[in-house]
Amino acid sequence: MREMALGGHDLRDIIARWVAPSSVPATPRIVTDISDFFKVDYDDVVILDGRPYFMRNYEREGRFGIDDEPKFWVRRAIDLTDGSTKIMKMVFHEQFQAKVGDITFDCVRSPRKEAIILDMVKGHPNFMQGFSVNDPAGNIIRIIDFIEGKTLADHVLELGESHEDYFYTFFPSVLSEYTDLVKAIRFLHEHGEKHGDIRRDHVIKEKNTGLCRWIDFDFNYMNAGNMFGYDLFGLGNILVYLTGRGDITLQGLKKEPSPVLDQLTADDMNIIFNNRLVNLKKVYPYIPDALNVVLLHFSMGANTFYDDTEQLLMDLNEVREIIAL
Amino acid sequence: MAAEKMCFLDKNRHIMIAVDESENAKRALLYVAEFLGGVPGFCVSILRIIPEPPVDYFKTDEERSEWIKRNKTEASTMLDNYRRILVQSGFGENNVEPLTEISSCPSIADCILNERQRLNCDTLVIGRRGISKKEEFLFGSTSSKIVHSARNCAVWVIE
Repeated sequence: MREMALGGHDLRDIIARWVAPSSVPATPRIVTDISDFFKVDYDDVVILDGRPYFMRNYEREGRFGIDDEPKFWVRRAIDLTDGSTKIMKMVFHEQFQAKVGDITFDCVRSPRKEAIILDMVKGHPNFMQGFSVNDPAGNIIRIIDFIEGKTLADHVLELGESHEDYFYTFFPSVLSEYTDLVKAIRFLHEHGEKHGDIRRDHVIKEKNTGLCRWIDFDFNYMNAGNMFGYDLFGLGNILVYLTGRGDITLQGLKKEPSPVLDQLTADDMNIIFNNRLVNLKKVYPYIPDALNVVLLHFSMGANTFYDDTEQLLMDLNEVREIIAL
Repeated sequence: MAAEKMCFLDKNRHIMIAVDESENAKRALLYVAEFLGGVPGFCVSILRIIPEPPVDYFKTDEERSEWIKRNKTEASTMLDNYRRILVQSGFGENNVEPLTEISSCPSIADCILNERQRLNCDTLVIGRRGISKKEEFLFGSTSSKIVHSARNCAVWVIE
């Protein structure tokens, strides 16, 4: 334990500026080396580059249908110099096989990648903002501005009385936001980086500004045939989800039961997740052909795929012109 | 650069065989050996593209350097072996050039096409992995991309 003073002030007094008196610990512990993130406890004060952070709970993440999976290396913290809430991402060198449908590939969690991208996207409205700092042991710690808001996925579920109402009233602006998100990914690709883990819960719609921001870009994998392919797959999944105002699954259609079930073929389904419908026009006939054609690039029946974000953006621009009419 | 000089000076037809460690790539090379071995007027560049690993993939620069070194060594051994096969099939000792490139491109196909253009090869020979549609969608198909994007050269895709 280090002495409990910082810049001549008692640490407890500094903490008391930002939290309720009942939340001020009796003897806050100062931590500088956070090589073992399990040893950083609630109520500890982590000092990085001379800046004190009051540690709070770890973050959780819904993933593959399992909600609230704890991410012990990702902690909420209060920056004691200004009281702002931060997300502190500590170093967790994870190496694993990512599984997408029935395809597996080697993946790593790279703090270095996220640190590089944080620098790259400084000031960009469609990315989470923050910076990286090394602790005395050389661990790359990322300090990220907390984004208050919902995921874009949760946000769209609340829009519209019906899908038709959603599509005509809200979807044009949702599509505009989505286009900005694709442009943001194009920005990464143009700078030789990839997001690496594009999922619908990795976009947060910021409450105060309404901006949609990409989060969590520490996944990395060895570039294969096309280094952007996996990102494009993620972008396609999000577009289908936004267009359908949620996943339209075979199970869901059977449950209704939907009259279109008999008209569906394997070609109408997502190329990787075969239970998800991509040919949404069969369920929602008012979806314009131009948009449905974009969606079908991500279907089992597709004969051509998007090679890069530019191709996708060109098609999206056409769709936006039609939808705006 | 050596390959450039070799074919330019001899005014030979210049063939590039793009290979990796796969059996399909080996089949492509054996096809050229069988088809053109002993026929005068051809020179061959055997190209192995090692995709440059992202700078942020490894924990340290040392790990990254080690990975590159290991892959270069493996590529060199493979290319020497392939060179020997071509020479034994009748290509001149000086008309077969192994090339290893560590390249960073959006896709391996782009790297191969850049090299083909740089060396001004008449013909590009590649094997086809026969990957599934899903894999092609997620990670791209080198042979498909080359077939669609190659300009000013013939492309042989060997099954």
